[in-house]
Amino acid sequence: MEDYPEELRTPPLSLVSIVGCPELHPSISAALSSQQPPMNTLALPDFAKASILARSGKSRDPLAPPQAPAGILKKDWLLKHRTRVPAAVAALFRADQVSGDPAQWLQACSDLENLKSAIQGKNTKLVVVLVQAQASDELSEDVTVALRKRAEIDSKHLVILVERDETEWNRSLSKLKNVFAELCSAFYKEEGRRIKARIEKRNFSSVELSIRYCFKVAVYAEFRRDWPEALKFYEEGVRVLREMIGTSTRLPPTQRLVEIKAVAEQFHFKISTLLLHAGKVVEAIIWFRKHIRSYERVVGTPEVAFLHWEWFSRQFLVFGELIETTSTTVPDTLSPRFGTADNVLTEWEFQPAYYYQLAATYLREKRYAIECSSLMANLTTEVNGIPESVMPSVYVGQYVRLFEQGDTVSVLPLSDAEYTSYALSEAERFQDSYEIIALFRKAYESFQSLGATRMASACSRGMAIEYYAAGDFSNAKQLFDGVAGLYRQEGWTTLLWENLGYLRECSRKLNSPKDFISYSLEMSALPLFSGTGEENQENKIKSGPAGSPTISRRENIQQEVINVLERKQSPEGNDDGFNNAMEETTHLEIDQISPLRMVLIASVAFHDQSVKPGSPLLVSVSLLSHLPSPVVVDQLEVQFNQSACNFVIHSTQEDCPPLDSNLHGQGQTTSLTLFTNKWMRLTHEIKSGQSGKLECLSVKATINKHLVICCHAESPASMEDFPLWKFEDQVETMPTKDNVLAFSGQKLIQVEEPDSQVDLVLSSAGPALVGEIFILPVTILSKGHAVHSGELKINLVDARGGGLLMSPREAEESESHHVELLGVSTVSDGKESKEEVDSIRQIQSSFGVVSVPTLSVGDSWSCKLEIKWHRAKSVMLYVSLGYSLGSSEEEALHRLNVHRSLQIEGQIPLLVTHQLLRPFRREPLLISEIRSLGGEDQRCSLAMNESNMFIVNARNCTEIPLRLHSMTIEPDDEGKQLCSVQQVSGISSGHVVIAPSEEYKGIFSVNPRAINSNFHLGEICLNWSRDSSLGDQESHVIMKQMLPEASVEEPPLVVSMECPPYAILGIPFTFYVKIHNSTSLLQEIKYSLVDSQNFVFSGAHNHAAFILPKSEHIVSHKLVPLGSGSQQLPRITVTSVRYSAALTPSTSAATVFVYPSEPKFNLETSCSTSDACVS
Amino acid sequence: MIVCVAVVGHQNNPLYLQSFTEADDALKLHHIVHCSLDVIDERVNNPKRSAPTLNETFLGLLYPTENYKVYGYLTNTKVKFIMVTTDLDVKDADARNFFRKFHAAYVDAVSNPFHVPGKKIASRSFGARVSTIVKSFGSGTTG
Repeated sequence: MEDYPEELRTPPLSLVSIVGCPELHPSISAALSSQQPPMNTLALPDFAKASILARSGKSRDPLAPPQAPAGILKKDWLLKHRTRVPAAVAALFRADQVSGDPAQWLQACSDLENLKSAIQGKNTKLVVVLVQAQASDELSEDVTVALRKRAEIDSKHLVILVERDETEWNRSLSKLKNVFAELCSAFYKEEGRRIKARIEKRNFSSVELSIRYCFKVAVYAEFRRDWPEALKFYEEGVRVLREMIGTSTRLPPTQRLVEIKAVAEQFHFKISTLLLHAGKVVEAIIWFRKHIRSYERVVGTPEVAFLHWEWFSRQFLVFGELIETTSTTVPDTLSPRFGTADNVLTEWEFQPAYYYQLAATYLREKRYAIECSSLMANLTTEVNGIPESVMPSVYVGQYVRLFEQGDTVSVLPLSDAEYTSYALSEAERFQDSYEIIALFRKAYESFQSLGATRMASACSRGMAIEYYAAGDFSNAKQLFDGVAGLYRQEGWTTLLWENLGYLRECSRKLNSPKDFISYSLEMSALPLFSGTGEENQENKIKSGPAGSPTISRRENIQQEVINVLERKQSPEGNDDGFNNAMEETTHLEIDQISPLRMVLIASVAFHDQSVKPGSPLLVSVSLLSHLPSPVVVDQLEVQFNQSACNFVIHSTQEDCPPLDSNLHGQGQTTSLTLFTNKWMRLTHEIKSGQSGKLECLSVKATINKHLVICCHAESPASMEDFPLWKFEDQVETMPTKDNVLAFSGQKLIQVEEPDSQVDLVLSSAGPALVGEIFILPVTILSKGHAVHSGELKINLVDARGGGLLMSPREAEESESHHVELLGVSTVSDGKESKEEVDSIRQIQSSFGVVSVPTLSVGDSWSCKLEIKWHRAKSVMLYVSLGYSLGSSEEEALHRLNVHRSLQIEGQIPLLVTHQLLRPFRREPLLISEIRSLGGEDQRCSLAMNESNMFIVNARNCTEIPLRLHSMTIEPDDEGKQLCSVQQVSGISSGHVVIAPSEEYKGIFSVNPRAINSNFHLGEICLNWSRDSSLGDQESHVIMKQMLPEASVEEPPLVVSMECPPYAILGIPFTFYVKIHNSTSLLQEIKYSLVDSQNFVFSGAHNHAAFILPKSEHIVSHKLVPLGSGSQQLPRITVTSVRYSAALTPSTSAATVFVYPSEPKFNLETSCSTSDACVS
Repeated sequence: MIVCVAVVGHQNNPLYLQSFTEADDALKLHHIVHCSLDVIDERVNNPKRSAPTLNETFLGLLYPTENYKVYGYLTNTKVKFIMVTTDLDVKDADARNFFRKFHAAYVDAVSNPFHVPGKKIASRSFGARVSTIVKSFGSGTTG
């Protein structure tokens, strides 16, 4: 648009001229140009210059027959009317010039005459301006009238300017402006009407004139700001112009077309500008479409096609710029249904980018056309040569040749051939590529911001092709790479094919063999879009340097790669030039997102999920290539994260034997040829390495000795589709034959820890007993592994679950545990040492860590765990040994673990029960017992000063014999004074052995000496140990049990029965009942005796008696036993009236054994007794 | 004259693309079809504009470019049909009619039990049927 002349780009402004009084000109022209609409001023300082207003052209004989015009539009016509042909002329005179001196008056008159003669023959209006110093300087009426007469103007066209007074000056100036505006309007209207009349009357000789007239009328209308009329005549002009293409014969056809297009361009530009400035976007776009459609086929002869494309491209560019500068938006009134009958426009036609992109496309068309024309011209220019001194003519779109002959310079028309070669030489001078790139870049940026990525990449591609054509390969490659990404993503293989073809050539030109190889491989592995179509269909697609996408072409490209690798000259004969840039081997890396995945993919699956270290395992390596020709792999190297597992497979075709046959996993040779889209499946056995994760990292395939493709290994389970082949309609194949493996195979395997060759022995000594320190020996026995930095972890857990070895409530109260790990004693060199300097030892109540010294193979080490049970509880003991095989850092990382567990029951060793017995046949009356008969307080009561029997039973609840070393009652301090405890029967000879479920009884006599209702008898202390025959040092355990409280009271009455130890049948004996009153009161008692069938007795059945204080009453009966055996004495019941308490002796107390005759006891005794009897 | 028809899948990947020109501009047609996807995206994703065309499958003229006009159609399974023609004046009704027939052919082709959805359409009978439809379009407007 900038190429257009200024007068075409801006709307025309009325032009007025002022002559004389040059000192006022600046202020007047400023005032006029600030008017709305503004006016341009042509200021002439004095009247001598007025001649330039006169018609410059030679006067034409009006009677001569109208000449055929030599062109449509004169180039300078518009400029002339904008700068040199004023609509009105104002002659400025100072008031003193016309009123005073007659000489001056005459001068003014002659100036006026000159001016009049200059504008004669035109419609230019004349205005006379008189400049006064002040408003008060009244000019005489006759002066003004005379002046008007001289100038032949209306009175209103004589304006008086008042110079000094500002308000007056402004007022008079605005009057002048109004006068000018009116006159301008009249002038342009008149001029327009004059020419319009010619059009209407068809008063013109040629079609060129008709167009010219339309242009003029439209321009005059523009001067008047009559836009609709201007538009109407421009459109009319365009219409006529379009019709002229076929009819005009004035010029040779090529130049004729050039001229017509140049004029059409001006018309179109005017129309577009007018429409866009009026906000009529839709109309402008529709007009543009029409314009393009009417000229798109008017290419002309092939030699000058480039002129057409240049012009055509410019139309788009200019319209795009117009749209951009007027910043159009899609009008709201437009139907949103773009592209349908409701709204024929489409979204992008509102975007300048759309036009820029097309402008670039057509400019490229021009470049191609130039290339063709240059080629043709080269053959012909030698004959003709390029004509010299060609220049634009006065007419728009015409060129002429200056011809100098001596002093005379004449203008000669050009022949079409001359013009063509001139235009070609001109066009060849321009670098269109940069223009095209700039246009595409503009469009690219604009589309990118609109979010139209595909359009943007099409523009990007356009840029890249231009860079490529211009030889800027690095820029081209960069752009092509960007575009290729989108095509890969969306699977547009044909477009990608073309792109890769360019990229391949770029890398060839940039001397980058690695890129060349990778692009070539990608190309040859591309799925063909119309692979199923007919061959000739495919061949129609011409794709730049890539050639047409056919299978044979793909094969060729693959072969080219091999040729490059083998340093052969390519069959096309063009020098690759890679030879110096080629490295020894080319490495290509293919990961999961690489586009080269189509070229080679490696799927690796282990057959198992986990494996023991060192044991053999199978791994399947499957390779797939989409390259069209079979690929021979020289060697295949499979790499793992544990490099010891790497292995190499050589192809049988490989001539040289494997270099290092000692390499681990070395050895296999098979035929390694990959056929297109067919899995090559290899199964290999490897030895698993260290424990931990074993993952296949990559598979390196060496092809043709110089190309190493490193494929990242993929698990079949998580393998993604092939980027482009997934859209192909073909059968999908599995990487492995085994379907399970194909769906769930993994490229990594878990190698388990090696079996530990260390034994951990927990020797259990049966159940533990509550209270003892339970010793549990732990032995570590190294069988095949040396133990380094070993660590023994001990954990005690409640066997019933719950973990903690204390009840929650107790945990709050105290920190005591039911089962406690007291410590670990280590045994070294047969000596027991509690402390070891180096050992890390942490013992908590239920958890402990002990460090184990370094043990070499075959050594053993043991320690003893000391555990104490406070309660009978079943406990799980977990012992785990962690160690490493060596002391080095690497080895220290691999730790082996041995775990053992043991359930240990905690048992109560002895169950202690006790029993309190009163003296035999002696019953004290204990009042508290009577009272508490119904009560719940079953506290036992003891009678003061009576010797009570206390029997303690210790029952062995375990399954092992126990030794009881002592059994004592330890009264507390108070008890010692109040009560005497004597052991009646004790343990002799050190200890007694209590067999399982046996009982030991200890008998004590308790004799309380004071009255105490809450009497603490003390604790039973049992000192026991295991009865181990092994002769270990005994660990005595003292077990204590509290005795219940008893109440000690003084009995008021004590009833004792006296009876011989045995009776003899038929021999009478006396049975006494003694009742002792220990109170200071008289006690009344009653007693009754019940008959017994085995006895006869003498005495009262029922009787009562009074007992004096502190005295004793004796009731005696004589009994004769009637039956032998253990016989029940007649039952006596003694009742105390005061205490209303009855006493019946217990059955055992009232039983006596009756011998049938005098018994004879053991030898000695019987002898002595018999002796005694005899004696 | 219709110079190209295309079926474009969900991932904007071409499923079928057939050009009917004698000239060697098939690649250009690929480009044109590919670029027209931008307009389809714009029309489909712009909620303001799609409101009145909620159930409309015919997308109309996508954009005029060079000598071609590109028309679009979106099936209810979001598969896009694109038709490129060189005719200057195409009546909406003709274009709609063409797409309706084309849609029917497409539905028949993908109903083939051996066709895997999302893969390219390789059926020869589909190709033949499309050719017939394309030819009838040409005769319908000019004749």
